[in-house]
Order: sequence, then C-alpha cells, then structure tokens
Amino acid sequence: MKHIFQQVFRSGKFVTGFSIFSAIMLIVIFYPMIVTVSPLGIIGQGTFFPPGIYVSVYDSMSATSYTLNLDGASEMRIASKLNEEDRLAVKDWLVAAGIPESEIDIADTAKLLDQWFTNYDPKKNIPGMTNAKRNYFVRLNTALKGLLSDEGAIVMQTNPQTGELAQIDTIQQTDYVNVGEVANVRMLPLGTDNFGRDVLTELISATRVSLQIGFVAGLIATLIGLTLGLFAGYVGGLVDDIIMFITNLFIVIPPFVLLILISFSIGQEQRGAFTIAVVIGLTSWVWTARAVRSQVISLRNRDHVNLSKLSGHSIVHIILTDILPYIMSYVIMALILQISSGILAEAQLSILGLGPRTTEVPTLGLMMNWAMIYQAHILGNWWAYMPVLVTIALITFSMNLMNTGMDQVFNPALRD
Amino acid sequence: MANAMLEVRELSTKYVTRFNEDVYAVDKVSLKVDEGRSLGIAGESGCGKSTLALSLMGYYFPPLHYTSGEIIINGRNISGMKPDDIRKAILGKEIAYIPQAAMNALNPTRKIIHFIEDVILEHEMYVNKKDIYDRAKKLFETLGLPPEVLEKYPVELSGGMKQRTVIAISVLLLPKVLIADEPSSALDVTSQKMVIKMLKQLMDAGFISSMIFITHELPLLYNVVDDIMVMYAGQIVEKGTSHEMVFDPIHPYSKGLMGSIIVPEKGLRDVKLTAIPGVPPNLKKPPSGCRFAERCRFVRPECRVASVQLREAENGRVYRCIIPEAELREAYAREQEVQKHGN
Amino acid sequence: MLKGYLKYFLNKLGWFAITFVFAFMLNFMLPRFMPGDPVAAIVSRLAQGMSNTSGVQAIYEQYTELFGTNKPMTEQFFIYIKNVARGDFGFSFSQYPRTVSDVLGSSIWWTIALQFPAIIVGWIIGNSLGALAAYLKGGFDKVLMPISIFISNFPAFGMAVIFMVIFGVNLKWFPTSGGYGFDLIPSFSWTFFKSVITHYQLPFWSIVIIAIGGQAIGMRSMSIYELNADYVKYARFMGIRDSKIVGYVFRNAMLPQVTGLALSVGTMVGGALIAEIVFSYPGLGTTLLRAVLGQDYPLISAATLIITVMALFANFIIEILYGLIDPRIKAAQSD
Repeated sequence: MKHIFQQVFRSGKFVTGFSIFSAIMLIVIFYPMIVTVSPLGIIGQGTFFPPGIYVSVYDSMSATSYTLNLDGASEMRIASKLNEEDRLAVKDWLVAAGIPESEIDIADTAKLLDQWFTNYDPKKNIPGMTNAKRNYFVRLNTALKGLLSDEGAIVMQTNPQTGELAQIDTIQQTDYVNVGEVANVRMLPLGTDNFGRDVLTELISATRVSLQIGFVAGLIATLIGLTLGLFAGYVGGLVDDIIMFITNLFIVIPPFVLLILISFSIGQEQRGAFTIAVVIGLTSWVWTARAVRSQVISLRNRDHVNLSKLSGHSIVHIILTDILPYIMSYVIMALILQISSGILAEAQLSILGLGPRTTEVPTLGLMMNWAMIYQAHILGNWWAYMPVLVTIALITFSMNLMNTGMDQVFNPALRD
Repeated sequence: MANAMLEVRELSTKYVTRFNEDVYAVDKVSLKVDEGRSLGIAGESGCGKSTLALSLMGYYFPPLHYTSGEIIINGRNISGMKPDDIRKAILGKEIAYIPQAAMNALNPTRKIIHFIEDVILEHEMYVNKKDIYDRAKKLFETLGLPPEVLEKYPVELSGGMKQRTVIAISVLLLPKVLIADEPSSALDVTSQKMVIKMLKQLMDAGFISSMIFITHELPLLYNVVDDIMVMYAGQIVEKGTSHEMVFDPIHPYSKGLMGSIIVPEKGLRDVKLTAIPGVPPNLKKPPSGCRFAERCRFVRPECRVASVQLREAENGRVYRCIIPEAELREAYAREQEVQKHGN
Repeated sequence: MLKGYLKYFLNKLGWFAITFVFAFMLNFMLPRFMPGDPVAAIVSRLAQGMSNTSGVQAIYEQYTELFGTNKPMTEQFFIYIKNVARGDFGFSFSQYPRTVSDVLGSSIWWTIALQFPAIIVGWIIGNSLGALAAYLKGGFDKVLMPISIFISNFPAFGMAVIFMVIFGVNLKWFPTSGGYGFDLIPSFSWTFFKSVITHYQLPFWSIVIIAIGGQAIGMRSMSIYELNADYVKYARFMGIRDSKIVGYVFRNAMLPQVTGLALSVGTMVGGALIAEIVFSYPGLGTTLLRAVLGQDYPLISAATLIITVMALFANFIIEILYGLIDPRIKAAQSD
C-alpha cells in the first residue's frame, strides 16, 4: 500500500492535478476565515461593477492629503477626461478647418489639444455645420479649457446650524491620499455581479458549495454503481441480466433529461443543495456500475476466489475480502470521475434554473445562470462568468489529471 | 553437396528501446539449411530465436534494426535490398513466416478468402477472383482443410483450424523457405499433432523446400526436423543433427535443456529431471566472457575473460565452449553414474 | 447471411421499443409521484381559486379537462397516451395561447438541424485526428494529445461561452444570438438562408469541438492498440503493402468508436442543449429554459419526452448502422 502511494505521488500528472486541486481546497477553506463578508450580501447598487480597488470618495477627503508633484500628471488627467467621441469630434473640426488629416493623431492628447487651441475659432464658418453642432463645439472648447486649468476643487457642505452652504475644504490637483489611510477601501478583484455582490467572495463560497454537492453526488453514485457492479459481476446469471438491463436503460435515456424532470418535479421549495446532490447521485451511477462489473468479471475466476468458494465462505464475505481490495484502485478513480461529473451536472442544472434554491447559497452553476440571464457575456462583463468557467474547468481538469496519473500507475500498459 | 536454400552469415540484429538503448538480440548467427532439409531452433524464452526468425525475413521494423551480416535465399542475397523490393519479391514468395499464436494473425473483420485475395493480388497482377478462389480451394483440399473455411471469418474457426489456415495461406505463393515460429505452442495436443503433420506434409509434397521450426520444446523437434540448433542469449551454442543433439549434446546448456525435459524415449527415461538455475544475461550489456558462464556448472575463470567462439567437434558439429568435448562427455558420464547410484 | 443481420436488427428494435416504453412511463410518473407534484399544485391552486387572471384559470381548466388530473392515476395515464398519440400536449402555460406542440414544433427542427450534424461532424473529425496521431506519431501526436485532453475536460457550455466571447463579441465575426437576424421573418429567401447560416456557425462549431475532444483520445488509443496487433505483422510479412494494412487497422479501430458514439449520444445531447441556451439559439434548449422560468409544466414534460425520444432514436440508428459495417455481426448470429 505504501509502495503504491509512493508511486502515485511520483507521477507527474497526478502531482500536478493534486496540487491544483489542493490549492482550490485550501483557498475554499481558508478564505472565508479571513474575509468574513457574507457571500450573498449585496454591496453594490447597480450591476456589474468592474474589478478594481474601490476607494470611498467621501473618506478620502478627510484623509491626510499629501502633495505630490508628478510628471505627466496633468496629461494623464486630461487624457482620461477626453473620451473617444470628443477626440473624434476635435479631429473632424480640425480637418474641416483645413488641417491635413495626416498631421492629426487623436491618441496624442497634448498635441491634439495644442492644435485645437491654436486653431479653434468659434466664428469660423465651416460649411455644412448646423447650429447645434456649432454650440456643441463651443461647449467642448470651454470644457477643454477647463481641463487645462490647474484650479483646485472646492468642497462645500451645508452648515447644520445656519443651513447655508459653506466651504469646508479645497482639493488641489496635486493632493494625493494614501489608500492605506483612507477609512473605507474595498478590493473587488473580480468586481460585482448583476445583483451587486462581490464576485470573488461569491465565487469561493460557490466553489465550496459545488464541491460539497459534487462530493455527495459522487459518493452516492459510486456507492450505487459499486454495489450494483459487484453483484452483477460476481453473481452473474439472471441477477446480472436484470442489473445490466436497468443499467442500459439509464445509459441511453439522457441522464440530463432525468435530472431535469426530477428536479423540476421536486419543486422550488424542496430544492436544497443536498437534495440536488442526492438526485444527481441517483442518476449518474451507470458508467461506474459497468466498469466495476467488467473488472469483477475478470476477477471472479481467479484462484484465490475459487479457493474461498471452496472454503465455503458466503458470497458477501467473498466479495468483501477477495474482490473488493483488488478493484479499489478502480473504485477510487471512479469516485473522482463521479465527483467531477457531479459538479458539472449541478452546473448544467443550475444554468437551466433547476439547481438549488437561489436565496441561500450560490453555486458555480447558479453564478453562470445569473450571468447568462443578465447578458453579462454580451455586455462584455467578463468577470461575471469567466472566473466561474475557469474555476469549473480547473476543478474538472485537476481531477482528471489526478485520475490519469493514477491510472498510469495502476495500469502500466497505459504509460506512454 | 545439396543446394543451400537458406544461408545466413554472421547476422546481427538489435532492438532499440524507447530510451535509445541497444539490445543485441541476435549476435553473429550463421546457419545453413539445404534444399529439402529442415532445421529446428531451440532455446528458452528470450534467447533470441523469435527475433532471429523475424530477422531472416529481411524486413525490419522499429524497434528491430539490422546491424550486419548477410542473408542469402535461394542464391539471392537479400541483405542489401530495399524494403519495398523485399516486400514485393521476397516476402511470401521466397520466404514465408508463420507467427506464434496464429489465432491472432488474421484480421478479425475480413473473410479468409478476402485476405487471400489481398495476398495474391499484391504479388501477381493479372489474376481474377475466380482463379484465386479455385487455387485457394485446391490448396486447402490438398492440405486437408475444408474449403468452407474460405468463406468464414476468423471468429468462426477453432484455434487449431486457425493455425492450420495460417499455415496454408503462408504457402500459397509456394515459398522456398518456411519459418514456423512456435506453431503448436498455443494448442491442445491433438491440434499440435495435426499441425506438425501438416508441416511435414508440406515438405514431402514439395510445397516448400526447406523449413525452420522454432520451439522451446526440444522433444518436439526430434521427430520433425533433420538438424537442430540451440540458441542462448542471442548466440548459437550448438548445432548438429536431431539425433546427435537429443542423445548426445555437448554444450552444457544443451545438456541442461535435455535434462530439464521429461522424455519417454528409450535411453533417456532414466535421466533425472534437472532445472537450469539462474536467468539469461541482460542483452543490453552482454557479459564479456561466455554468456552462459553465470549458470554453467563447469565454469572456470578463463570462461569470463574473452568471448567464446564456435569450435568444431567431430563429424561436423559445432559448439561454443572452451572445454574440449572429450572432457565434457566424461563429466556427463560421471554425473549419470552418480545419479543412478544416488537413487 | 441476412438472417444473421435480421436477428440483430430485431434485437435492437425490441430494445428500442422497451426503452421507449420505459422512458415514456418515467416521463409520466416522475412529476406526478414527486413530493412537489406540479400538477397537483396547480390543480389545488385552481380549486382554491388562487389563480389571478381568468386567462390563467382558463389554461389550468383546459389542462385538467384534457389530462383528467382530477381522475385516478391509471385513467390519467391512458388519457395521456391517447393525447400524445394525437400530438396534443395541451396549451403552454407560459406562452398561451400557443399549444405545446406548436412551440415544440418550431424549435425541434432547429435543434435537430444543429445537433445531429454537429455531433457527427465532431465524431468524424475527432476520429480522423486520433487516427492520424496514432499513425504519424512524433510531433503531431505530442501536440494533439494535450490539446485534446484539455478540451475534453472543459465543460460543454464553457466551450460555447468561450466561442461566443472570442468570435462573437470580440472579433465580431459571427452574431452572438438567435437563429437568424432579428429583423427577418422566416421565409425561403436567400437573405434568410444566409442569415441562418451565419447564426448557425458559432453554436455548431462549439458543439463540434466538444465532440472532437473525447473522440480523438479514444480513437488514438484504439488505433495504437490495433497498429500493434498481430495481424498487422502477419499481413506485412505476407507482403501486403502498408496503405492497405492501414485501411484494415482503422476500420477495426473505428468499430468500438461507433458503439461508443451510440452510448454517449445521451450525454452529448445535454451539453449541446446548454450550448444552445448560451447562444439563445431557437432550439429545444432555449425553449426548456424559458419553460422552466415560466413554470410551464406541460412544455417541460413534452420537451423532455421529445429529447429522450430523439436520443433513443439516434442510439437505435447508430446501432443498426454498426450491424451493417461490422461483418462479424452478420456471421456470428447466423448459427
């Protein structure tokens, strides 16, 4: 046994898969201990906040301000305020005013503004320009001039006693605050989802739930498959025929369909995470049963089994002591496969909306479901679904790697 | 002097493992099989006899590689030939190979007659299917196989029938030399007899001219082949006629082989059963001296010094040992005495 | 010879019939025996007069009438069979006044047109790649294998989403949703066809890629196994040329792949349905999604039945075809 362990851990594939999987497990276990926010807590008012570090504007006003004179600060400022549309408008005006197009680069903010201020003349008559457009350019000009000024901003607050607006603070363009000193800062590495929840925390919690569902489903499926496979393979004859008949029925009928039917029939109220896991387990045991059965069939004519039979041991005893130990390696691999397909099955169910109740815990599939329904993929809000996909892929991938690694150890013929 | 149908001179071939290590499976083997005669090759598993058989075909596939030596079939030196030429002119036509466990040698999804068609059409251009069928039918009938077999799939035939079918197909093109690689090892005793009878019939009826019969069962060879050659660790250790080899082996290994078999033949019934202790050497790094030294009961320090060449004994036999044959014979006689009196 | 095949055919036909009956019964019984029996819930709501609009009430009444949900279970079953035989599944709860058969009728063809060609194309490409990898070995093999392993482990819908994002949203090569342009009405015009074809690409290719992954690995293993088989060596030694031998090998390696396809149709259909949902493709997948959202019990029940029948049928057809291409079937069963 120890020898097998050593061999398994020397297999590159297994180790890689195992590391990835353990990393996920560790994160899932330890993160909630560090970050104790509720995963389903709605923190954002509005949908799909992009990932980033969110700093309270109000609190940064009260934090100590430091003066920093950085090169290019004003350029950065102006560049971020001048959007694509306006840049194109500036370019259009300049071209219409006679500046050759080749000399205009809308990406070069400084030069663009330079050209603008040198050439802009509100009275200049551009053929074909409407009044509305002319006013637009006047406003644009004022706004652009405003960009260049280095005046600070004035903060006013209503005086609680007099009821009047009074200035309480000025913010210079060179004022900076240290993020660490601001009272309220929230890191949202994965932004928020459509409900306004922190995607990262939600994701980790969802991973935990999905893993739990996967484990339960996988365990149930493996147990059923193992038992049926053992009896079908060992006893043979009519028992085998009956079990095989049932198994084949369940292979051909799409298990997914069964899942849908059962899940829907159970109804919204009854659909807890655990119930779903049980349902998945009850519908996905087929391949395990088949695999176990063929293994048992090849084992049942071995000498040690015949010896036990001659010694008069009962069927159950023989199965437990003579056959089971030899197929343990297959059983473990089957278990891993069942777990990973259980996770996938839950995801598929949830995407349809037939997964666990949406109010208590998130699951990976549910997060996908919400993202799909709220059109995250079309709007370009990748953080709402990509991390979920990657997580699912990583989990299944790492489990399959572990499986292949073990397979090669137990089955030398497969080593490449 | 009869014509040599097959002559092999100093043939060496090797396997290259996937770690790029060389395994010298056949080491400078020379042999000659005259027209109308058959040669048996005996030895334990892994001694190189099957590799030798494959090498004789002249058609090398990784991991088997040709190193050096010559193979001359019916006067034709095939060692320098291009694989495609060998395939068209030699394989099946001049020299044919019957594989071990022939039950798996037939494509399970092709009818026997279709396979035969493939074989014949590969070598002859203008034959139509009806002629092929007639030829096959005639051949099968001559060899005692029911012609219904032609229309069947391999899965419908018994093990013995499959083996005999493979033998029949192998001689379709009337090759000069037939190599039978353990043709009866995987069969029950009755089928074994039928297979051997068939092979002998092939020689007697003139379908083939010479035969090489490979086996690890020495007693089988006594009634089947004219000459016997014993191999060990890729080398020939002794050659002689069947009678000589079975009743009067010289090399300690040959002697050991005979001693480890139950033979109800007269004269041998009293020989005690002994196993040869030890295992064959690793052919990746063959030992520098005699390759049998580790397991030989007559081993001397000189044995391990330099590689041993084949030496001539009386009446044309050869054996590979530094000990003179007279000495060996004496030692054997003494051992037999001890045995008789020890019981 | 044909007698052998006939026996096989009848065997498979019988199997198809039994599975169909079983699936049908399961489809009927499961919802009704579950704790949250939706039919009973609806009926009881009706009885308590809790349904809000008269229109909704009309639907439920019609359903009760049609399927006799106020009658004992066995009677319900026979009524159900009778109705299904007529193609009458009742009105759709969520898309009233459309009937269920109407809704299904329009989406089923989209699904068939998408999934079956996609799975078959994927199967063919996957097996060819696997066979090539086994035959060519070397660089091609080393590149193909990790890619295949990675893709086959990726969840089905994941592939669909990635395709959509890369090709639909970012590169804007293909439209991201629908079966055809929103502004078009189905007709036999060239514009319509062109639109259909462009919309077809992304869902089609994502399902193909998923089907490829698993097949390539399997075919490669089978091919390697066959390439090292004894009959290959023997055929070589009889002088048969390599190209012919390769033909033998791949024909033999393919047989278990066909069986594998028959068995995995059921699983693939699930993944393909999700892909349809991702692309809002007007097939059974999206229909199901909307049905679930709208608690539309008759639609869900009928849709699952149709999907099951489709899968069963596909399985049957593939098994029949297998009997035709494996010569041993005709032979072995004839005595």
